[in-house]
Amino acid sequence: MADFTIEYPGTLAEALSFLDPDDPSVRPVGGGTALMLMMKSQMFHPTRLVCLSRLSEPMTGCREDGDHIRIGAMTTLSQVEHSALIAAEFPVIHNAMKNLANVRVRNVATIGGNLAHGDPHLDLPPIWAALGAEAIIHGPSGQRSVKVEDLFQGYYETDVADGELITEIRVPRLPGWRATYRKVTTRALHDWPAIGLTLAARFDGDRIADIRLVLSAAVDIPQRLRGAEEVLRGHRPDAMLLARAGDSAAAEAPMEHDSRGSVDYKVHLLKVHILRGMNEIGKG
Amino acid sequence: MSATKASHAIGQSIPRLESRDKVTGRTEYVHHFVLPGMLHGKILRSDRPHARIRAIDTAAAAALPGVFRVVTIDDIRTVIPHPYYGPAFHDQPILADGKVRFAGEPVAVVLATDRHIAQQALELIDVDYEELPFVENEIEALHSDVRVHDTLKPAATFPDLKHLKGVRDTNVALQYRLDRGDTEAAFASADHVFEHSFKAQPVMHTPMEPFVAVADMRDDRLTLHTSTQSPSFVRIEIARLLGWPENRVRVKVPHLGGGFGGKLYIKLEALVTALSMLARLPVKISLTMEEQFFMVTRHGCTFRIKSGVDKDGRLVARRCDIVWNGGAYADIGPRVTQKAGFTSAGPYDIDNLTIRSSAVYTNRPPAGALRGFGAPQTAWAYERHTDIIARELGIDPLDFRRRNLLRQDRPQATGTPMTDAALLPVLDRVAQLLDWKTPLVRSEDHILRGRGLAVGLKGITAPTTSVAIINLYADGSCGLYISTVDMGQGSDTVMAQIVAEELGLDPASIRVINPDTDVTPYDMATLGSRSTFHMGNAVRRAAADVRDKTAALAAALGLPEGHNVPPSELLRKKYGMQAGNIVGVGSFIPDYQKPDPATGQSQKATPFWGIGACGAEVEVDSETGHVTVTKLVSVGDIGTPINPRLVTAQLSGAAIMQLGFTMTEKMDFSDGQLTNGSLADYKIPGLLDIPVSFINEYVENTQGTGPFGAKGAGETSSIALSPAIGNAVSDAIGAEVTETPLTPETVFRAMQSASRADRS
Repeated sequence: MADFTIEYPGTLAEALSFLDPDDPSVRPVGGGTALMLMMKSQMFHPTRLVCLSRLSEPMTGCREDGDHIRIGAMTTLSQVEHSALIAAEFPVIHNAMKNLANVRVRNVATIGGNLAHGDPHLDLPPIWAALGAEAIIHGPSGQRSVKVEDLFQGYYETDVADGELITEIRVPRLPGWRATYRKVTTRALHDWPAIGLTLAARFDGDRIADIRLVLSAAVDIPQRLRGAEEVLRGHRPDAMLLARAGDSAAAEAPMEHDSRGSVDYKVHLLKVHILRGMNEIGKG
Repeated sequence: MSATKASHAIGQSIPRLESRDKVTGRTEYVHHFVLPGMLHGKILRSDRPHARIRAIDTAAAAALPGVFRVVTIDDIRTVIPHPYYGPAFHDQPILADGKVRFAGEPVAVVLATDRHIAQQALELIDVDYEELPFVENEIEALHSDVRVHDTLKPAATFPDLKHLKGVRDTNVALQYRLDRGDTEAAFASADHVFEHSFKAQPVMHTPMEPFVAVADMRDDRLTLHTSTQSPSFVRIEIARLLGWPENRVRVKVPHLGGGFGGKLYIKLEALVTALSMLARLPVKISLTMEEQFFMVTRHGCTFRIKSGVDKDGRLVARRCDIVWNGGAYADIGPRVTQKAGFTSAGPYDIDNLTIRSSAVYTNRPPAGALRGFGAPQTAWAYERHTDIIARELGIDPLDFRRRNLLRQDRPQATGTPMTDAALLPVLDRVAQLLDWKTPLVRSEDHILRGRGLAVGLKGITAPTTSVAIINLYADGSCGLYISTVDMGQGSDTVMAQIVAEELGLDPASIRVINPDTDVTPYDMATLGSRSTFHMGNAVRRAAADVRDKTAALAAALGLPEGHNVPPSELLRKKYGMQAGNIVGVGSFIPDYQKPDPATGQSQKATPFWGIGACGAEVEVDSETGHVTVTKLVSVGDIGTPINPRLVTAQLSGAAIMQLGFTMTEKMDFSDGQLTNGSLADYKIPGLLDIPVSFINEYVENTQGTGPFGAKGAGETSSIALSPAIGNAVSDAIGAEVTETPLTPETVFRAMQSASRADRS
């Protein structure tokens, strides 16, 4: 680790001024839990770190905004975990926190950093994607928003350019939807998932009126399983249908072998958990 | 020298002497240690599993501002002409010498005042490699054309390896043999013959304190501050490398943050010694957690086991063929091969036995001792094999074991009698804790339940020596000088209890002086469950010596027998003031008979028997293969406990560690490269993985030759835990698992192949 500078901007404008669109060795820092590991393992050598810890609203906190909920990018995972608003609106996020990293990490890791890191093994990004959330991004040329589903461009690659910052996540309220995140670990219980599967659905009686399935961890980026959604949408989720959805999901997900399991095994897990996940949210 | 008064210190669960310092962050570790002018070394490691080194270009790294020097083997030769070390074979170079033999092997070191600069400079070193074909699998290595070493180089210190010197064209470092009876004839006449093959994976010790050493070379004196389990060995081996007498090398060891057999023999010590000689400054190397994977591992192995059983369900013959993946350097692997070899037929009374146990070189990180010295890998095989046989014969696995178990004083495979070995009591207690005879609710929804037990044994490295000194100071307080390393197991406390018992003192008042070879006497090492037994006996003798010398002093002063003048008063009478010492010395080496090299037979192959049984209840997800261990029971024979709470902590600690080796831990390799060398990808068990019902107990027993009836307890629950869980899993799924770790995918595949077999 060679020498580098660290800046503590007090405003968003100041933060943006410290970033450099042409220098990937200048990076913003949220909680630093991921960045420090990359520095420790010599994967990243910074010249300047821009620490966002002194920025305030809208970068911090969870609030209601009409038919959306907005979460500041510097809100820690613990703050989201203990937010009554989030627990009421998005129980799937609340429930995922318990098995996400550990309390020390959750106390410092931030919602925005968690998205910007682009690590496909993380638990929250696929859930945000399934909930239809969007990331608000600020940069030298102003503000833009990108659906979380479209934010990821490759393994550890996102649509956020050098010089830009994620400032907020904006999540539509989803009345009538039920969602679950299935974190499937295959080594120690507390581990990166072999596969992560988010299922979010709205039911019309016993039929699936609408559904979003997002696969993560076994693929380079959180991925919508649109073929499987198509199989399920408008139908009653019986075992036959769920098996067909599983086959479709397996066909459209380019999963990779790693120390958490072979491709065949992950395909099998995906099918099992589509079934179990649908049974879980189908019961309401 | 039996205790004459009622015990006041033995059998008491007194708190660890060092616990307050540890929990308040004041305990001394080598990682904290700083000397004026000290340089930091960072190691450049090979990224090839097997290659010749054509050239190393260090110029750019050396030119980086802040870099003191870049060192290769050529530099090291200028201060240590024969830079090869190892406890069994002198096969390991201090840095790669013209060739690398595993990916991760140290090739060069950058020295700098700032370790970050040293780290940065590593990227500027250019190594020109000529890649060589490599061999990873132990079975392939037996017959491969790839030679990891050109010739075998046994160390002179082990006379039984002398015949291997200069042997060429083989990857087999050593083959251990044991023959008893006529195995082939017994197979021919047996009513049933069973043969199975099992595999165990390489794993890492994972001490929370990574390897660290500081060398301080001053003129003709060297001081090493190192995180080692074997200070006496380090001094002897470093003195050999330098051609110096032992008294010019000083090895100091504070507390360790875990060792588990990894921090034995030479690890970083030879390297930092050479670096300090070259730099003429103190040098420190602190490994990262990630680098630990390249230092030493547990042996992976392949174990083929064949048994003959008669019509009454009695084992009549067994053949064990074990091949150990020793990695690129032998380390203590040849001893693991022998020690685990001689108990590899299990705790059963079998008249006809053939054992072949081979240590094999491969292009993997070196393998050495790890909590159990190979016994857990062999028990994985023989106890899974036992269950399969019992099931196929339709005999209850507990009954089958009881029918065949070695009873008190019966000869084990070596011919050594099973004296003071509570095999049956530990097995029966496990069965009782599992409620063995009560049927389980077998399945529910997609959950399959199963139950298993296993029992195993372990021999203890022999013959080894411990020496202890007790110095009774002028005021009657005392210091205990021992080279036993307290690495978390609580040896300081246990040894203080022994002194306290013998001298009638409060254990908490005994000052235990940590290893410093200038001060503390010889001890072979802190390994293989030997300290309580060996050092405990030596300490007890040292205390008896203090008592004898105190009595002699009283007699010389003309005091009558039965006087009650305390030692401090005796010294005051003798010297006229508060002055003087009473120094007691004790040493211990157990009775031992060298095994016959042809047959492995010996009447005294081990100083005592390590005995443990385990039981498990599991729930298996029938759709995914996920295993939940719902109940885990370990019952050990640890003789008579000196500190019951420390014994229980040892039992539970070993059980959790072995649970990791059974369920989650595996060093994954692809094309000769380790692919999961960090704790993010190499999973040791976390709190959530510990079974809800987790029971650790010992049975009442007395080791006649042990101090106050005690024997070692550090590895007891390592031995039979893996097969207990494996047996429970196989019981649940109705299919055989043969390979650890029992990942969901491994179990799922076993279920699939069983259901395929059912259909066909």
